[in-house]
Amino acid sequence: MTDTASSSGGIRPDALVRPADPASDLEKAALKGRPKVSLLGLGMLSPAAVLLLVFFFAPVVLTTIFSFTNMTSATGISGGAYVLSPNLLRELERSGVDSDTLAALGTESVVVDQESIAAARAAGVEEDFLEEIEDDLLGVDFDSKQDFERALKDLPSHLRRTRDLKLAADHFLVSALNTRFATRAEASDAISALAPDIAPGTRDRILDASYTGWVWTTENFRRLATQPETLRLVLNTFFYVAVTLAFNVLVGLFLAITVFYLPKGTGMVFSVLWLLPRITPVVLYAIMWKWFTWDGGFVASFADLVGLPSFNYMKGSVPTAWTIVILVNGCIGASFGMILFSGALRSIPMQQLWASEVDGASRWQQVRYIILPQMRWPILFVTCYQSMSLLSSYEQIWLTTNGGPGNTTMVWALESFRTALSNYTGNLQYGQGAAMALVLVIVGLVLSIIFLRMFRFGELVEKPKIEF
Amino acid sequence: MQTKNFASWPIVLVLTAISLPLAIMYASLVIDSFTNTPAGAVLPNEFTLEHWAFLVDPTITGNVWTVTFNTLIFAFTMVVVVLSVSATGGYAMSRLNLPYRRFFLAGILVMHAFPSVTLIIGVFLVLQFAGLYDTLIGVILVKAALTLPFGVWIMKGFYDAVPWEIEMAGLQDGADRFTVWRRLILPQVKPGLVALGVFAFIDGWGEFLLPRILAPTTEFQVLSVYLNNVSVPDSVDYDFNLFKSVGLFYTLPILILFIVFQNRLMNIFGGGTKG
Amino acid sequence: MQIVLKDFTKSFDGLTVIDKLNLTINDGEMLALLGPSGCGKSTTLLAISGILRVNGGQILFGDKDVSNLPSQKRNVGVVFQNYALYPHMTAFENIAFPLQVRKTGAAEIEERVREMARLTHIEPYLDRRPGQLSGGQQQRVALARALVRRPDVLLLDEPLANLDAKLRLEMRSEIRRIQLETGITAILVTHDQVEAMSMADRIAIMDHGRIQQIAAPEDMYHRPSNTFVAGFLGNPPIVFLEGKAIGNGAFESASGMRMPLPERLTGLAADQPIVMGVRPEHFGVKGRHTVRGTVSFIEPQGRETHFDLTVAEGEVLRSIQAARTDISLGSEVEWPLDVDKALVFDSEGNRL
Repeated sequence: MTDTASSSGGIRPDALVRPADPASDLEKAALKGRPKVSLLGLGMLSPAAVLLLVFFFAPVVLTTIFSFTNMTSATGISGGAYVLSPNLLRELERSGVDSDTLAALGTESVVVDQESIAAARAAGVEEDFLEEIEDDLLGVDFDSKQDFERALKDLPSHLRRTRDLKLAADHFLVSALNTRFATRAEASDAISALAPDIAPGTRDRILDASYTGWVWTTENFRRLATQPETLRLVLNTFFYVAVTLAFNVLVGLFLAITVFYLPKGTGMVFSVLWLLPRITPVVLYAIMWKWFTWDGGFVASFADLVGLPSFNYMKGSVPTAWTIVILVNGCIGASFGMILFSGALRSIPMQQLWASEVDGASRWQQVRYIILPQMRWPILFVTCYQSMSLLSSYEQIWLTTNGGPGNTTMVWALESFRTALSNYTGNLQYGQGAAMALVLVIVGLVLSIIFLRMFRFGELVEKPKIEF
Repeated sequence: MQTKNFASWPIVLVLTAISLPLAIMYASLVIDSFTNTPAGAVLPNEFTLEHWAFLVDPTITGNVWTVTFNTLIFAFTMVVVVLSVSATGGYAMSRLNLPYRRFFLAGILVMHAFPSVTLIIGVFLVLQFAGLYDTLIGVILVKAALTLPFGVWIMKGFYDAVPWEIEMAGLQDGADRFTVWRRLILPQVKPGLVALGVFAFIDGWGEFLLPRILAPTTEFQVLSVYLNNVSVPDSVDYDFNLFKSVGLFYTLPILILFIVFQNRLMNIFGGGTKG
Repeated sequence: MQIVLKDFTKSFDGLTVIDKLNLTINDGEMLALLGPSGCGKSTTLLAISGILRVNGGQILFGDKDVSNLPSQKRNVGVVFQNYALYPHMTAFENIAFPLQVRKTGAAEIEERVREMARLTHIEPYLDRRPGQLSGGQQQRVALARALVRRPDVLLLDEPLANLDAKLRLEMRSEIRRIQLETGITAILVTHDQVEAMSMADRIAIMDHGRIQQIAAPEDMYHRPSNTFVAGFLGNPPIVFLEGKAIGNGAFESASGMRMPLPERLTGLAADQPIVMGVRPEHFGVKGRHTVRGTVSFIEPQGRETHFDLTVAEGEVLRSIQAARTDISLGSEVEWPLDVDKALVFDSEGNRL
């Protein structure tokens, strides 16, 4: 290990005093013969390291951070602003804030200055009318909106329709309501100006409530831990992973063994056929399954022919939906098992099989007593590897049943993805989704560390043989 | 393995039976695009090329060639990034003295085994911060980065198989490590580069989730998104056979690649688990 | 060029495999590093070639300390056991590679590669790739590649191990011829005593990271410094009889068999524990002492025959004689033993 010696790089005070210290000599010798750190290696690795840092490490960190926020697409991902909306005032009133204060915050005043005139002009109010306003009313104070509207009616070229007039008047209304204050101080000043005798506690409460950005919270995890859907998601995910995994391993094993016994050409046809789902673009693959299983598709027509109920097998019933989900994913994964098992099969010495045939073993006995016992490690490997990739796979389910019918085929990864990035209401809950993803990341990390130990990762790491 | 002791027809029969759904699915994809088989019919009817008119008539589904060209650029750029970064990174991991090498290797293996799609929320946020959200370059970088642990691991495996003596001989002959890598080692791992390149191309060509989520409104549409948009099966005037021909058109290039490079791809599709 | 290892020390992960080894290779000689696998001979070779770094001591090429120089700056030619030819290059390109990286002109490269090809007799194969060459031809290309840039020292790492028996014999003399013709200093690493004895000027025999003896082949065979060296050289190997001196110039083995000590050692004190070493060629042909025993094993070799003679419980002497068929398994025989040629070691294993 190149990094273990790095701690001995510092100068030890006692080594300076006693240069003949045998221990320090030994250390020096170890240091001297240590393989040189390769600058070229650092250079060659850095593109990979940077990309992985940005797109693996940083996302994990961000996922962790944001799982502790209430971030949604409404709050935005950067900071928010302070906005007093009419809705907010109503809510505050319901929760017991003094209604006089709130009414004060809600007051509107009329300001006629160059700025408001310019705003009205930009909004398309008639030019003549505006000029008259500028001439007659500039700087005049009005007690209420009604007074202002009355004054407008007195102008010679005032707008005929009352509705237009009111709309024009609106441009001169100023209110703290619906104004975005960039900082807390600005918002605080505005509130103090409108309601000078507000209690500081009430003001802070209003400020907190008016913040539109995200805030830190552990609510996401509390919700995950308490809501009943969580258990259902966990069970669904577990069921999905377990059954698909079993399908992958069993079909993979079956394919590998049968192809192994076939003449080369015939075997090739089947292995290519089973590899197709893996290379077919996922969109097309998903759509092919849709075509295959929808109301007018092959399965429905065929079921009709043989007298079975004919309906949309993908979405029509829970058992068939699950079956399709498992088949869709299982057919992709089966080829992974098939290739790995085929490799392991080829490494079984032929003589063992010949010997067993000479001994009179049937094909089943050959498989059971010669082949399967030697497939233990590949099977374990495929199980570990596939369980991890199934745990966090959702693309195929998303494109086929999308968790339906209802939420019956919804799994954890898909729910997390939908919550954060793809739901129909349009309000994407990044924080909640990140919390769900974080759970998967942690489960995945723990599993992979266990698997690394199980497969003796240490033995895979060979030290460089060139030390210069 | 073949010996004359067992007949193979029972196996073929069973295999055919369990492969039937897949076979029908793929066969009907091809057949329906050349016939007017109505939805729900089990047997095809007459031969026609009308469903392939979208190739020349942009009024049917928009200009498919622009989208194809986009997809080609997308997949090809990704191949270049994956290959160059994996070829250098894999070599460094396999052969050079680096601090924390073991730790880094374990990290790569974890990332390789751990399916990265879970991180898409984090990736989404990274792109937002980096200002690369809704850009093609962002999607390419993300896709390439997500393929990297696999690529580096595979390339490391190929480098590991090159005898150390070749490397030592190169040094004795007076070449520096970089020259040794470029002139002596790189040519030895060419099969690995070809396989990884084809794999990355197939992977990039089929990618749907990332462009859809990370670049939803970009002008630069790729075939997967295009196909998904034209094939909503719930719409009323939906032309079943047209979509199959678009789908077949989309898959054809990678089918050809796959058939040509089949043998080299096998150990890549197995996940490069042999190290 | 003279190569000197001074207190050379090498450890891996804190485990010292070679501790303060000293060795001098004279200018123009071929020195064989001989020893069983794991004795440290390959580690020494890799340290000299600049692949491994030393943990202590120095490596000198002439007067220059190269301990901290990488391979590229050492000017060492190496022929590896598997030849390490670059598979994607032709024989010509392989040989030209060291010159190319030194930016030698094309004309000079052409000339020097041809010269090397002539020396190593591979001119007809220059445009073939390694895969199209036989083992012997690959070996010659590897030699040419190692020599083409005129290195200070040529290192040969088990150069014959991958060849079949007939080619091995041929290449043995070829390598020696080329080394003598070029006059280059060479180090041959091998575990095969025959290779070492037949090719090298001197042999350094190693065990457990230590040099046991350095000597010319003949010298080492006849005057091994200890039991390890005596046992390593010679095939079939020497037989050791443990016992003690019993005064009057006689030896008694553990089983009680007595025989005279060699002339030069008659003065050994009684009761001193010693080990007698008898080589097979010194038993059964001539000598002043005779030993009785039962023939327990016969191995005809064509030109000669090997016998095992059980002389006592657990004590077997080995004999090698010109082919004879008059002895059958189980016969009782009495054969002469040339006791003056026998080797005697003290209880530590050092030769007396």
